[in-house]
Amino acid sequence: MSTPYYIPEDQVPLPPKGSDVLTTACDYCIVACGYKVYRWPTTAKSGGPRAAENAFGEDFPVGTMGWWVAPTQHNVVMHNNRPHHVVIVPDHDTEVVNIGGDSSIRGGTLASKCYNPATPTADRLQNPMIRMYGVLMPVTWDFALDIAAEVSKHVIKKHGANAYSVKTFSYQYMENTYAITKFALRSINTANFTFHDTPSDVTSTPGFRDAGFDNFSAAYEDWGSADVLFMVGTDPYETKSALFTSHIKPAIEGGQIGLMMGPRATAGTAFIEKNGGLWLDTLPGTDLPVLLAISRIIVENGWQDSDWIKNWVNDKWGSSSGFGQGTRNTPWQWRTTWGKFQTGGFEDWTKWLLKEDVSQLSVASEISGCSEAKIKKAAEMLAKPINGKRPKTSIMIEKGLYWSNNTGNTNAISSLGIIVGAGGRPGQMIARAGGHQRGGQRGGGYPRNKSPEKVPGRRKRALDTDRYLVSGNTRLAYAIGTTWIQSMCGSSGLADAFNELVVNNPHQIRSFDKQEIIDTLKKRADSGGMVVFNQDIYLRDPIGARYADIVFPAATWGEETFTRANGERRLRVYNKFYDAPGNAKPDWWIMAQLAKRMGFEGFDWKNSNDVIEESSRFSRGGRKAFHMVKVAAHREGKTFHQKLNEFGTTGIQGPTMLREDGKLVGTVRLHDTTRTLSDTGAEGINMQNKKMTHFNTQTGKCNIQKAPWSLFSDYWEYIKPKKDELWLTSGRINEIWQSGFDDERKPYIRQRWPENFVELHPNDAKKRGIESGDRVMLYSDRIPYQKGTILGIEGDDFQFSSLQKNGHIEYGKAAVTAIAIVTPAIKETVMFMNFLDTKQPANALQGRVVDQISGNYNFKMGSANIKKIGESQYKHTFTSMSFAPRTIT
Amino acid sequence: MTKSIKSPVSPTTEKEKTGDDLASHQKCMMTRRQFLLTSGTATATVMLMMKFGAAEAAVPAMVTKYPRKLLGKMSKLKNDEPVLFNYPDDGDYSDSLLVKLGTEGGGGIGANKDIVAFNQYCTHQGASLDGTYKAATKSLGACPLHLSTFDLTRHGIVISGQAYQSVPQVLLEVDGDNIYAVGMMGLIYGRNNNLKG
Repeated sequence: MSTPYYIPEDQVPLPPKGSDVLTTACDYCIVACGYKVYRWPTTAKSGGPRAAENAFGEDFPVGTMGWWVAPTQHNVVMHNNRPHHVVIVPDHDTEVVNIGGDSSIRGGTLASKCYNPATPTADRLQNPMIRMYGVLMPVTWDFALDIAAEVSKHVIKKHGANAYSVKTFSYQYMENTYAITKFALRSINTANFTFHDTPSDVTSTPGFRDAGFDNFSAAYEDWGSADVLFMVGTDPYETKSALFTSHIKPAIEGGQIGLMMGPRATAGTAFIEKNGGLWLDTLPGTDLPVLLAISRIIVENGWQDSDWIKNWVNDKWGSSSGFGQGTRNTPWQWRTTWGKFQTGGFEDWTKWLLKEDVSQLSVASEISGCSEAKIKKAAEMLAKPINGKRPKTSIMIEKGLYWSNNTGNTNAISSLGIIVGAGGRPGQMIARAGGHQRGGQRGGGYPRNKSPEKVPGRRKRALDTDRYLVSGNTRLAYAIGTTWIQSMCGSSGLADAFNELVVNNPHQIRSFDKQEIIDTLKKRADSGGMVVFNQDIYLRDPIGARYADIVFPAATWGEETFTRANGERRLRVYNKFYDAPGNAKPDWWIMAQLAKRMGFEGFDWKNSNDVIEESSRFSRGGRKAFHMVKVAAHREGKTFHQKLNEFGTTGIQGPTMLREDGKLVGTVRLHDTTRTLSDTGAEGINMQNKKMTHFNTQTGKCNIQKAPWSLFSDYWEYIKPKKDELWLTSGRINEIWQSGFDDERKPYIRQRWPENFVELHPNDAKKRGIESGDRVMLYSDRIPYQKGTILGIEGDDFQFSSLQKNGHIEYGKAAVTAIAIVTPAIKETVMFMNFLDTKQPANALQGRVVDQISGNYNFKMGSANIKKIGESQYKHTFTSMSFAPRTIT
Repeated sequence: MTKSIKSPVSPTTEKEKTGDDLASHQKCMMTRRQFLLTSGTATATVMLMMKFGAAEAAVPAMVTKYPRKLLGKMSKLKNDEPVLFNYPDDGDYSDSLLVKLGTEGGGGIGANKDIVAFNQYCTHQGASLDGTYKAATKSLGACPLHLSTFDLTRHGIVISGQAYQSVPQVLLEVDGDNIYAVGMMGLIYGRNNNLKG
């Protein structure tokens, strides 16, 4: 297929007997379905439809759920510099994750992401580039790295480590994240560092952490074995597809009751409703009142799990003095300086709950727009005993919840989880479902003490890289595998800052001489401007296309052997099966070359296995601890990758332990209070983490916390639509992964979603004369941008209304166009867009104000006006998009 | 135009075709499908495709690599009442539906361009979509296996779900009141080649 235009094929080559077969897992969502890659030279005869003629050993046509190959699952790639066919299909033999070979539309089209110059992947970055005379020109690695190293050293020496900003993906394989964090945090030791989805290196779910919950404690079987499953802020059918289709859907068909909460219904929502479940249709940012109202109904009726609370919830002593290390030195205590969250146990929490205004059913219903009947029904479903027996309830959360009112919502859901007995037993868990896979491995600690920002009390907070950059403090910005601008809130204002500091600075490269180029970039930094490095697989606009001075081309999935874990901590090897395009190199290699040139030690790795083996000891104590895999490998004279590869697509769930007989064992779920570990302690160099059998607190019991609405209500009131505005929220859609870097190059996906869209309710559409297929403009002139780095003194210094009063909020304008989709599946007064379309970024209209406690953005909170500006070509033609609802059952 | 079409070729005969025949078949099917997909749009792509328009008279003759099969009479079709048939043979996964949508659809025939036909198997993992036609949304699905849904007004594109391609569309032609199936866009689930069922 040589065109981005989708032309359906009606035949596909089959792998012949004797094809190379390699295991991998999907590159995209958290679930990481197991896949097999079949590879054979283009000079060899392809397989035939008889079982004896193909590598599957199957007669074609194959049966349902069989080893079928869709045309989008075939490609031609270079392997050892010779063209090979590859067919990439779900592993139908797998008994875990995507059981029986289930797959998503993303994973199902993995082959289409591989570099092939005859396809829309032709523009993969293949050489380092330097912007000379305004044009990004291919250069050699030595040329680019020498310049990058000299400029880096200068910026750090002259302006300090904090002037050097590294913004990186947190998940694109452990070998890479280890190298990147070793470079940024251990070697440079900059506090101006963060990951792709937050302006500061902070925990994503503060309430979970403080309650003692690991984000990824649950096993996929737990979501299936619960009697009642409450999915908050996500429909896992969308972009956690096989988690829903392989684990939740069969459970619901077997009688499980599903509940979902959020302003938008999709296919999974429709499915649970059809099967006796419940959709709590809430307005953006109103989860907290609804969760408190549910909790209140439960305790007023005595439906709470009293035995669980008695055994596993901290009382006054456990809460306030049981932390051992001294309460003033725990993150939990730092957030409770004003006593806003901490309780003396269940009774104390209940007293607070009953006094809290928004826990009243009528108030919660009024704020959230969700009916009192539904809230009551939810409380019953979650906790009311049936025939004297409690239901086994599990709670799954995602970004619709924790990126609306980050601290408040995660506190409120944690406490609800605790009272319904979720958290530490099979089928009774509370955890994140996850977004991207878990590919982070730290190579250095975050230097919090070097952060200039302090919240009230004694605590420093991680540096806000966006605010620091906008203020002109960042002299070198290094973006690795993230769009940075569109991924962050108030992205138009952020782009303005990049323009000012980079493009409008007079010091631009007008030379072919290496030293002159170095001097020019140094002058840029010294003059108050900013130098930009960008490392990615494609040239993204604007971070690479407009702002980067130096571009490093990265190798990715399938082009290097990597390791990563999924949402149940399942570790697998992602094998290399084809040559990276041109001179593209894996991120670990790029970091090592740059680090060595800058004079840092400890970057002498020869391959990705060297990196993962160095990193393994730092994984000990973590949720995906894999050190014992290395120990086992070395005992058997193998490498880490070889040993883990023996586990194929099944992998092994972290934390891993090594038995005396040499067998590796994994961990099904964390906080498993039903699990018994050896009472004589860990054997050999094994480590028994407390989190395996207890919660992440000093006592090992949960903390039940208050969730005051007042910390957030002023911001919510500000964002709340005024006059003709509507709420604007955003989220993932199933067919597109992250910023669409691959999907916009997959002809079929591009045809499905050629542009960003906005869903709005028929009543809102009618008032504005908007129909499906119309091109609309969304705009606002009151987007709040937080500015400056401050030292908090008073308790409410970071409260939104205080920031406003003290001049730390300015107001920006932005506009985004989209294609309208009119559907009753979105709540009235709410609009929904795909969260990260680089050309039409929904985040431009979301307030750039961080959660005052955690430092995260509340990405899902925005409002905007909308008007029709004309009809799109999709309205009356039939080849692209679809305006049918996503809730057809 | 339809007069130049050869007699339908039986599936058995098709299976004996050589690789060269298939390659040439593939090429003209591509042209026919491209024409169908791009007709009615106003992009640069269309202008490119229009170049093939001059050769269009030759296309139907080669489309006969797919059998030409009489499906029924236009005058007998009622809105939203699908008629089932098998195509391009009677083998596995050949179950298809012909439906008058009552609203224009991509590739539709008839005065209102609202008569379309599709294979009835989900292009994800091969479950039958029989009986899942929805008049309100002109869609197929949700698939009982993994809930994929398909928009029949838009060449069977995935509305929501996990399938890797549109549900295969059966190309239709009209001769008087007769409706004929003459080809397919998209690989039928389970097969490695549509004509090898």
